[in-house]
Amino acid sequence: MTMRNEADDGLEGLFAEARTLRAQPSEALMARVLADALAEQPRPAAPVVAPPAMRAGLWSRAVSLFGGAGALAGMGTAALAGLLIGYVQPAGLVLLGDAVLGAPLETVELIPSVETLFAGE
Amino acid sequence: MPRDMQAEDVDSATDEALLARYAAGDPAAARALTLRLVPRAQGYAARLLGDGAEAEDIVQEAMLRLWRAAPGWRSGEAQVATWLYRVVTNLCTDRIRARRRRPTAALDEAPEVADGAGGAEAGLIEADRMAALQAALDALPERQRQAVVLRHIEGFGNPEIAEVMDIGVEAVESLTARGKRALAAILAGRRGELGYDDAE
Repeated sequence: MTMRNEADDGLEGLFAEARTLRAQPSEALMARVLADALAEQPRPAAPVVAPPAMRAGLWSRAVSLFGGAGALAGMGTAALAGLLIGYVQPAGLVLLGDAVLGAPLETVELIPSVETLFAGE
Repeated sequence: MPRDMQAEDVDSATDEALLARYAAGDPAAARALTLRLVPRAQGYAARLLGDGAEAEDIVQEAMLRLWRAAPGWRSGEAQVATWLYRVVTNLCTDRIRARRRRPTAALDEAPEVADGAGGAEAGLIEADRMAALQAALDALPERQRQAVVLRHIEGFGNPEIAEVMDIGVEAVESLTARGKRALAAILAGRRGELGYDDAE
């Protein structure tokens, strides 16, 4: 037992001494490891840059000119309705024209003739 | 761009935190990990191989694997130091096996303890205490040497050693105990030279 304990004590002493004697790596090894580290290191992610805004096209400029897509859609609908009414000439509309004008209206002169303009002279 | 670590951050950061900073591109973390891990790995590899130059090659390779593992490192899965020691252990094992395959290594095929015991005695003529310890460690079977060095010199606990060596805790206890007994036997006749009493 005594021999075993002394042997253990001796070994423990050697182990303790070995623990205090840390290896000192050569400067060359440290440099090689660090060079590897920097060579292998992932590059930091580049800051996210928003893609440049698309140049406003002709359509989008026209839309903004009329006050937005909603307003433009309303104008388009009104124009289409006017065209349709003029082409179809619904019966109710003809009766309304007769009542207001007192006679059937076949044609409308939107631009008076030049003779009419000078008739009073 | 990650913020580079300040000196106090580096000192207090865990290995895992430093590795995460390294993976994020912080060069200060690379330096800190190198300064922290390389001396330990170098000492361990030199103990296993008994050769400082070969140990340097092993450490550089093990650290290279660590750098490459950093981006995919999963937090909490393994301790960085334990992982590194495991890699060093495996690389040393490969290196020792390669030595044995060399033509000049025929003598190493004899039982290691018997050969090493003679080597240890011869080495004691001019060796200091640490050289004697190294010679005795060299004489141990490889797995016993790993277990003894990890337990008694590197200061790991048995569960960590089990992880490094990829074996169970009971096997670690057995290897450590047998390794220590074998060391004591190898050094038995040299207690006086080693500085402890053999006059019982």
